[in-house]
Amino acid sequence: MEPSGQPGMTRRRFVQLASGLIVATACGGTGTEPGEPGGDAAPAPSSSIVPPSGQLSGDLRILQWSHFVPRHDQWFDDFATAWGEEVGVNVSVDHIDLAELGTRLSAEIAAGEGHDLVELLSPPSAFEPSVLDLTDLNEEVRGRFGQQTELCTRSSFNPTTGKFYGFCHGWVPDPGDYRRSMWEQIGLPDGPSTYQELLEGGTRIREEQGVHMGIGMSNEIDSNMAARAMIWSFGGSVQDADENVVLNSPETVEAVDYMARLFQATMTPEVFAWNAASNNQGLIAGEFSYILNSISAYRTAQQANPDVADDVFFTPALRGPGGTGLASQHVIPIYVVPTHAQNPDAAQEFILNLVANYSAATYNTELYTFPAFRDTVPDLDDWLTRDPFGSVPEDKLALLTDAESWSTTVGHPGPANAAIGEVFNTFVLPQMMARAARGETSPQEAVVAADAEVRRIFARWRERGLVGGQG
Amino acid sequence: MSTPPATAAGTAGTAEPGGRYLLDRKGFLARVMLLPAVVYIVALVAVPFFLAIAYSLSDVTVGDPSFDFVGLRNFATVVGDPTFRRALLNTVLITVVAMALVVVLAKVLALVLVQDFRGKWVVRLLVLLPWTTPTSLATIAWVWLLDSLFSPIDWVLRQLGLLEGNLYWLGNEGLAMTSVIAVQTWRIVPLAAVIIMAGLSAIPSDINDAAKVDGAGFWRTLFEITIPMTLPVIAVATLFGAIVVFTDMAVVFVLTRGGPVDATQVLSSWAFFRGIQGGDLAQGAAIALFLFPVLLVFAVLILRSAKRMEVM
Repeated sequence: MEPSGQPGMTRRRFVQLASGLIVATACGGTGTEPGEPGGDAAPAPSSSIVPPSGQLSGDLRILQWSHFVPRHDQWFDDFATAWGEEVGVNVSVDHIDLAELGTRLSAEIAAGEGHDLVELLSPPSAFEPSVLDLTDLNEEVRGRFGQQTELCTRSSFNPTTGKFYGFCHGWVPDPGDYRRSMWEQIGLPDGPSTYQELLEGGTRIREEQGVHMGIGMSNEIDSNMAARAMIWSFGGSVQDADENVVLNSPETVEAVDYMARLFQATMTPEVFAWNAASNNQGLIAGEFSYILNSISAYRTAQQANPDVADDVFFTPALRGPGGTGLASQHVIPIYVVPTHAQNPDAAQEFILNLVANYSAATYNTELYTFPAFRDTVPDLDDWLTRDPFGSVPEDKLALLTDAESWSTTVGHPGPANAAIGEVFNTFVLPQMMARAARGETSPQEAVVAADAEVRRIFARWRERGLVGGQG
Repeated sequence: MSTPPATAAGTAGTAEPGGRYLLDRKGFLARVMLLPAVVYIVALVAVPFFLAIAYSLSDVTVGDPSFDFVGLRNFATVVGDPTFRRALLNTVLITVVAMALVVVLAKVLALVLVQDFRGKWVVRLLVLLPWTTPTSLATIAWVWLLDSLFSPIDWVLRQLGLLEGNLYWLGNEGLAMTSVIAVQTWRIVPLAAVIIMAGLSAIPSDINDAAKVDGAGFWRTLFEITIPMTLPVIAVATLFGAIVVFTDMAVVFVLTRGGPVDATQVLSSWAFFRGIQGGDLAQGAAIALFLFPVLLVFAVLILRSAKRMEVM
């Protein structure tokens, strides 16, 4: 394959690659619909209404993202409308870009009015003072549908205040995506399984095949996920289980040092300009040997470049020197009911119905979103081992059946509290990685600077009573 | 049927309707006419401004609008933050360099566009497009032009044999800053050119005619007549453009998101990241308020330039 940016790139090749870029970017950071299920694929689950516990009426205004799979929004809107008609509630659903959800909710809280139910895609812990405690709802759903996936609980419950500030109904795995044909040539057809293999294999692929890899170190979501996965797998973390800051550790320094070496050996400066669409663009264009992303980049490739899609396979979280392998959840849909909500009862009844119909929800996301309550989607493992959406081979997604065992929340090993949220949204960790990779500072200095910033952030949220721990 | 002639407004003892009487009073009418502008300024400028001051002195977050006074603590924290200092420096640097380029390019463009040539109106329309295009949309186009892998600029340079591989415009610190300045310059030049064109059109033709008769060439006319006479207009265009660039968030947010690391971070983008996305609304407000003193100076200078033009 022709390496990127080489002088010999033909006009036709350039146009082909640019076309792939347009498709990938048009699909945003998360991808697009790959197509209809195959002929003998499992049929789409049907939806049903759970009767409400009491009389409902009035309006229910829901705000959530425009899902990267158009099929999901169509199903969701029809489901919400049908539910409303059944229980006597006038439901309206507004879809906006995922990046605007937090800003919009902030504005509505400041105004004291707005939607009754708002879905965010990262833990909404900072909004805790202005949203209802959903402990009763969480307990009710557990009673009906079994245990909630732990990473979902840790992304919606604040142990310091004892409050469920949100209801997490699903989560999205973040596996590694690799090009089998490239890794096969260096004797690793199943892709890397450790960070050491990633470094050695990636280096050889770049040297022998001229293809680099893409792991972002920029001010955006995928870079945040990658930095966390690496730090955890090397044994470090931002906080401990009791919410004390522990970023400055030998393990974190080792992870940062590793990232700097990985950049030097396998990547180009494009990773410092990474955005949410970069994974998709590069993978579709066949420019990367390995990326970290949800299956959205692959689903996009299925439509835009089927040959590349057939060559894309997945790895679970890579293991670090100590044998630990952890990845962050990609996005995590969590509902909040603001205190200004006019119809909180209907909002909570709707959530309960959504969970009851999560098979249909998961299916209509084309297996992008996993259930927070595993028992609600009994066919999930079957779908993953026999992808209804055209994977070749059909068991390509089978490794995701145990994704829960190597996935965790952004606050790991503690909760996804408000301080973790600010650390995440001001990109402290990707910048720490980038500073070392660019040679601006040593790994140790980069970690020390990031640790100071994290401590400042934690101290401020502790003053507000939302974060535990002391140091 | 004929109607009696109207008497002078407000004459004593006449039975004029009250509304008519009020509208004939100049003082009242002036206030009525000014009211929409005043309401607009109060609602969309004054209230947010004083709200930002209040926020900056509090511990308000996106999820907790309750007000607890913390004094100047947010300002002290912000000033001690290296990212803030970098953002402040970048904001000034981008504004100064972009405006220097804008003055030169806009002046050249204005001189070209005031000439008579075939298709002048089409050219003028095309030149104005960067200004009329929404900033975020235009910047998305630049994101594509400067893409790390598929940049058409890189491709052209490769075809010309001037480049091997890619430049990584937005992944390299110096090139990323250059890109931000280039985009800001690109979008401000049309507006500045149109303003300067208006100034050029206002120069009495007899002055230029007299200069020609006296044998003044292009450069002499430019430096001794055109530039001096349009200087107040150029000043207004420059100051107006500087305000737009100084307060802009969209270009940096869409093009680089402040990166690589914080190399292109500016005050407005950092205020957004810290205040809205990070949830610390109070600190975000404190960061944004650092824009105010500079904007105040710009505003005073603009008003003085405008007054000088009135005198002329």
